[in-house]
Amino acid sequence: MKMNASKKVHYDSGPNMTPLVDVVMVILIFLMLAGSFGGAEHYMVSNIPFKEKGVGGQAAPKGMIPDEPLDIRVDSTADRWVAQVGRLRASDVPTLTSQLRKMRQDLNSTGKKTDNIQVVISPGKNVKYDYLIGVYQAALEAEFTKISFATAH
Amino acid sequence: MKRHSMPEMKEGGVNVTPLIDIVMCLIIFFMLVAKIGVSTGAEAMDIPESILGVKIEDMGNTLTLNVRPGGGDQPYITALVDGKQQELKLWEPRPGGQISSPFLEVLKRFRKQNKDFKVIIRGDKEMPYRYLEPVLLKCAEANVKNVNFNTKIGSTTAG
Repeated sequence: MKMNASKKVHYDSGPNMTPLVDVVMVILIFLMLAGSFGGAEHYMVSNIPFKEKGVGGQAAPKGMIPDEPLDIRVDSTADRWVAQVGRLRASDVPTLTSQLRKMRQDLNSTGKKTDNIQVVISPGKNVKYDYLIGVYQAALEAEFTKISFATAH
Repeated sequence: MKRHSMPEMKEGGVNVTPLIDIVMCLIIFFMLVAKIGVSTGAEAMDIPESILGVKIEDMGNTLTLNVRPGGGDQPYITALVDGKQQELKLWEPRPGGQISSPFLEVLKRFRKQNKDFKVIIRGDKEMPYRYLEPVLLKCAEANVKNVNFNTKIGSTTAG
């Protein structure tokens, strides 16, 4: 009887990749599950300045000239907000940005430096945080540098 | 004369070379991009969107506060303090009728340890300002001068 084994064809398929693929797949799945990505978020910076009232409620040092205040009063209903700066009113970020930019330019033209203007956001106690971030962003876009929150009205 | 023939070639199964190439690329990508074991204490919540904002490279000097509406007028604040995620109450009664503020104590301790201490506020976008206000007041009381509002990078904002 002829043995079949003697007729087996020998071929060289290179190194066995199966263990490598196993290990690499495990590493890949681990990294996909354990890793987190931090690219979708950023931060709006606020250096809370000296204020006699409100959030930055510290006494100003002697001899310090107080900043020119610019109060933004923010009120809201369930689905919209209204910001009032002096006699001007706005209920969306682009309009408020352009109004604030114009005010900053007017103040700059009278000799007030931007660094000496204190923007104070004065929200109602039920105004949503989301709306306040919109107002804060409008002030940043208008290139104000000192922005803070005041106590709720 | 006996002739030697070439050994018979046989298909060795599925060709895994392209698979290994792609998987290796993915591994290198994940190793470079993913942050593993770095926890700032940030919790998943619906934070507001903003167009403007900066990246904070050095998170070592920061304390991330997760602020949500709580019971009554007190916000529900959590943060990673001493390696443990814990709730920081704005005020709580102590035996003897005194009122303490664990939140303020933590802020003061961090501020004392590090002059460049920063606070990051992650607030629920639906949260009314009455919950955020006491957090900002306590930050001012603890003399924390740098407060950062964490927002999603977006193309639009409210309004």
